[in-house]
Amino acid sequence: MAYLTQPDYVKYVCSCGQLKPITNLYFCRHCLQIRCAFCICHEVDSHYCANCLENMPSSEARLKKNRCSSCFDCPSCFHTLSTRATLAQPRQSTEQGSGDTKVENKQPKKMYYLSCFNCRWTSRDVGIPDQPVASGGWPERANPYATRVNQLLDYYKAIAQQEKQEKLDRERKKFAIRGKYITLTDKTGLTGAMARNIAGLPSSESSSSAIASFTPSQASEEVEELPEEFYTKELNLNQITSMPQRLASPEWQPTHVSRLHPIAKLLSVKRSQRCRVCDHNLTKPEYNPGSIKFKIELLAFYHVPEVKIISYEPIKPGCTSALLLKLTNPTGHEMQIRLMQPEDIPEPEERVDEPKSIEKSLEKSLNLEKDTSWYETVKRKPILLTECRITIPDVTLTLAQRDDAAEYDDDATHDANDIILWRKSNKLALRLQVVTSGEAQAGAAAGAVLALQYRYRNAVPPAAQPPRDHTLHAALRLHLGPVCG
Amino acid sequence: MSHNIKILPGATVCEDCTLEGDITIGGGTVIHPRVTIIAEGGPIIIAEYCLFEEYSTIIHKKSDKQENPPKPLFIGAHNVFEVGCKLESPCGHIGESNVFECRSFVGVDVKIGSGCVIGAACSLNAPQTLADNTVIWGSEHHNREALEKQPSQMLQLDFLSKVMPNYHRLRKPNVHKRQTSRQSQEPIKA
Ligand SMILES: [Zn+2]
Ligand SMILES: [Zn+2]
Ligand SMILES: [Zn+2]
Ligand SMILES: [Zn+2]
Repeated sequence: MAYLTQPDYVKYVCSCGQLKPITNLYFCRHCLQIRCAFCICHEVDSHYCANCLENMPSSEARLKKNRCSSCFDCPSCFHTLSTRATLAQPRQSTEQGSGDTKVENKQPKKMYYLSCFNCRWTSRDVGIPDQPVASGGWPERANPYATRVNQLLDYYKAIAQQEKQEKLDRERKKFAIRGKYITLTDKTGLTGAMARNIAGLPSSESSSSAIASFTPSQASEEVEELPEEFYTKELNLNQITSMPQRLASPEWQPTHVSRLHPIAKLLSVKRSQRCRVCDHNLTKPEYNPGSIKFKIELLAFYHVPEVKIISYEPIKPGCTSALLLKLTNPTGHEMQIRLMQPEDIPEPEERVDEPKSIEKSLEKSLNLEKDTSWYETVKRKPILLTECRITIPDVTLTLAQRDDAAEYDDDATHDANDIILWRKSNKLALRLQVVTSGEAQAGAAAGAVLALQYRYRNAVPPAAQPPRDHTLHAALRLHLGPVCG
Repeated sequence: MSHNIKILPGATVCEDCTLEGDITIGGGTVIHPRVTIIAEGGPIIIAEYCLFEEYSTIIHKKSDKQENPPKPLFIGAHNVFEVGCKLESPCGHIGESNVFECRSFVGVDVKIGSGCVIGAACSLNAPQTLADNTVIWGSEHHNREALEKQPSQMLQLDFLSKVMPNYHRLRKPNVHKRQTSRQSQEPIKA
């Protein structure tokens, strides 16, 4: 179980070898493997503003530099700024000067300014005039280095395009060697430049000109000396901005608090997660930014039996301690569970008995081309060596399916069993023995490992097959506090 | 402890609050239920248009080097004490238009100017003097200087003084106007 503020006492071993609490894990129903954030593919679904919940396509988001155009963050404490209304009294002096002509204009006008509820910074603090409309219209500060940044952008775009072109050319050469296919340009006698022109792409000449005219910036040995006042003038820390404040607006990096300017709010993204092995989605959120629901939500918490520590006797070197665990079946099907040592988990064998259809072989050939080198670098063997060893009882435990209504049922039934302490709907409590080796150091963290073998029913099989039962394994590591002296 | 509570006309003081010692409450001030104000080290004088929200605590602490007669604790006008804040002070003076946010704590040796904001859950223990318009916020007690005083809570006070009598038993003002002027003169002389 994972806690909000406490350490994670029970960690599961992901298929990539990482140890994570069950709430941070995913379960791929197609590979029947546990996956974690480290070994899956994260994709950006949509961009939205977390404050006004406005949704925008990624092209627009890029154009707006991933910032919302109507919401702002406080430049002082980075909290979201709120718009506040005030009634602006018409100026007394002008009133008297112009006499009766402005009588009908006497009604106070609603004016708006930005204010931070956390640190009480307001847009008035830095002399930004109040606005007559509630949203938008706030003055934007121009980036003093805009031309240089654009130059750099053009330069790198040109380089990217050039590289792409070179790659294309190389590909074409490959085809030419094969001699089987005739490319469009070969057949029609079009040149590459003409084809680009027709396609509306910028000609390679313009990109090469961007590269040619680019002047790289030069580092200089000579640095302007600090003005005298840096040594003599007394510093008022309230007037100087902090490092985070400067870095929050990299374009201006204000050194003085009077130069702080509201920061356009950064957009958030909705992510979907994809299994890297089978390319199926593990999670997919609903598109609407206001919704916190998921269309696909394959979390380990809903598929893998959950283990919680109820209590344990203090771990002492060379002693045996009792350990009480609670097992929960989160699925809608009855589940058989066997406990075992992690080293007894059989090595996963290649599933060769799959029916070979054309689709499958096609998929396989596609997979062959897929780059799987990442997996070798990502995969690691978890360290599961511990001083404590759980004595594994040779029993098969049957856990009923989850039944939300059963939550309100009577007390737990007490089995007359040395291992099972009690049962209650889809949960049961186990009493196990932990043997600690005599070499355990007092004060060191005590941990024990355990593996579960469970029958998992895949209720949503591909293409109208009957639900299939699988025997799956999960290894987990329990934290049992420090070793007592 | 002698109980000498003076409530000036226009003040809204709920009955369900703890007021102990010599306390003067100025006109327009609103004191919510469950507020604790204890004047054990000397009188507490609260000026006009202050707002004391629920569970705020003001204690004028007894100190060893107490003068005789004891100096009053004077709380300036337009101060806002938000829910659950605590102020312990033997110092003679709290400026005006300060905001003590929820669950903030101001210890004994803190002198507070005007227009200051003590952020939610901030606690000031070390002896210090807050200059005017100091804003303190966050768990790391960041501070900055605001350009102007915090906007006054006049609308809120107006609303509360109209609505509170409908839902709470109130303590009646017990000082007449004539005495008022003399009372409010006192702290300035002191
Ligand atoms: Zn993983
Ligand atoms: Zn927004
Ligand atoms: Zn702020
Ligand atoms: Zn998968």
